[in-house]
Amino acid sequence: MLSAYLEETIQFKDTVSSWEESIHIAAAPLLAKENINDSYVDDMISNIHEFGPYVIIVPGIAMPHAQNKGGVLENGMSLLKLEKPVAYPEEKEVKIVMVLAATDSSGHLELISDLASVLADEEIREELENAQTKDEVLRIIDSAE
Amino acid sequence: MSTPLAQAETSAPKSSARAKVQAFGGFLTNMVLPNIGAFIAWGIVTALFIPTGWIPNEYMAELVGPTIDYLLPLLLAYTGGRMVGGQRGAVMGSIGAMGLIIGADIPMFLGAMIIGPLGGLLIKKFDSLIEHKIPAGFEMIINNFSIGILGFFLMLLSYTVIGPVIEAANGGVTVAIEALVATGFLPLLSLINEPAKVLFLNNVIDQGIYYPLGLQESVNAGKSIYFTVASNPGPGLGLLLAYTFFGNKIARRTAPGAIVIHFFGGIHELYFPYVLMKPLTILGVIAGGMSGIATFQLFDAGLVAGPSPGSIFAYLALTPRGSFIGIIAGVLVATIVSFIVTSIILKLDRRSDQDDDALNESIEKSKSMKAEGKQAFASEEAAPAKEVSKISFACDAGAGSSALGATTFRKKLSKQNIDGIEVKHYRIEDVPTDSDIIVVHKNLVDRTEMSFKDHEIIAIDNYIGDPKLEDLLDRLKKTNEAS
Repeated sequence: MLSAYLEETIQFKDTVSSWEESIHIAAAPLLAKENINDSYVDDMISNIHEFGPYVIIVPGIAMPHAQNKGGVLENGMSLLKLEKPVAYPEEKEVKIVMVLAATDSSGHLELISDLASVLADEEIREELENAQTKDEVLRIIDSAE
Repeated sequence: MSTPLAQAETSAPKSSARAKVQAFGGFLTNMVLPNIGAFIAWGIVTALFIPTGWIPNEYMAELVGPTIDYLLPLLLAYTGGRMVGGQRGAVMGSIGAMGLIIGADIPMFLGAMIIGPLGGLLIKKFDSLIEHKIPAGFEMIINNFSIGILGFFLMLLSYTVIGPVIEAANGGVTVAIEALVATGFLPLLSLINEPAKVLFLNNVIDQGIYYPLGLQESVNAGKSIYFTVASNPGPGLGLLLAYTFFGNKIARRTAPGAIVIHFFGGIHELYFPYVLMKPLTILGVIAGGMSGIATFQLFDAGLVAGPSPGSIFAYLALTPRGSFIGIIAGVLVATIVSFIVTSIILKLDRRSDQDDDALNESIEKSKSMKAEGKQAFASEEAAPAKEVSKISFACDAGAGSSALGATTFRKKLSKQNIDGIEVKHYRIEDVPTDSDIIVVHKNLVDRTEMSFKDHEIIAIDNYIGDPKLEDLLDRLKKTNEAS
């Protein structure tokens, strides 16, 4: 399930200049697939401005998202892996940015459930942080499901 | 060492009964307080534009009726439904309230405060019944139709039941008032007046009984005390003053505004929500009303006609020469007595809150003592002060971080074979009030505390694998083993 979502939305990048940029880049594939529109990207960023980096769900991994105020057209998820960590507010370093787009609060729970299995397992998380290619990421996620 | 333990043990059930009463009081308060602004808006419109208002205006006055009939009860029902059953409960409660509103010819405040939470409860129970049984893809249609169909029945029920209920209440009030008037001891009338006013049955007593009696007397004597028995603004003023000084934080801030509209504008409805918040304070306005009537009697005071609205200005304008001292004294005495009695009630209530905190603390303490001395008391059964059955993860959107946190935690619980604990995710504002523990990111704690200051809130840095969540898991593991 999760790997199906990520099939076309995994990106690797050496470095980004700011956490805002990391969200813009991570969201790009979802924009291209028309899962979301620009307003959702702005919502995610202003959310972090307003409430701080609560989207960092485990140290090193951020899951930017926001309430759907019309900016989410279809459920989706993307993954951006950075070689050099970028600093989120409160000096939190992030190497993996996973943008979550959810049309409402219930339709995407299977996706969340898969994600939980991946992130709750420290070993899998570590493997993920060391993954170098898209296929590697997909394989790791598949193994966790 | 066994003595304090035994004490804590025996006092625990007592405290839980009291805690329940308090939780109920807090529930009423939380249902009413967020909507006080709407009451004030309505009060201003009414004080200004009704025919006897400051700047009568027929066109503007059209706002008065629908606002009090529809907006205010719907808000109460919505809030009450939401507190029990989240957003879906709010919708359900409002549907039910609509039946009441249309079925009754008086504003349905109390009814809305019952039907709102009832609607919330109904949909919550239904949802938990069908949970995990909905085939994927059908959630939306089932969610909408479950509210639609249950709401249809709730609306029919409240619509058909409420008419006869109000008729019976009106009949009962009329009979009781007539009997009390017959005794000649008028202060007793307050026993009926004040509760009837808060329930919006005052029109039937004012226009049905007191005004006819007053007119008869007024024709002969030029004034009548019957015009004053239910319209004295003193008791309400005293109550609002007591809230101004001794109420909880938010009540303290809103009560002064309500005073202006109530006392000078004569819109008594402004104090009703404060009574509904803490029903015991009805004793304050009853005592105030009684002493007011007694004072009017003592001075043989009366008004020349029914004051409408019952503001201090209408009172003075309708006071015949020679009655001024009596009328002013009656209002003043009613205010002071109501203020004193209500203040005592509010203060006692507060103190018992603190008592409870102290009690909980001591239970907590003895519990930890017990945990330490577990070996020594191995035979004793560990009785936690409160069983945890519902944990709510919350975040801003209720879709991402909280869902992830809840799912992960649920998985951990089932790995430990702990069952019977419901773990779900919500938007902060939709977290059900019966949650035992609310887990939220530390940056969102302030916002959570605004709505849930009486709940245990766990503030975390990360929704997954936070040390505080590990602690929680340990704690649940222990209670699970103990039970």
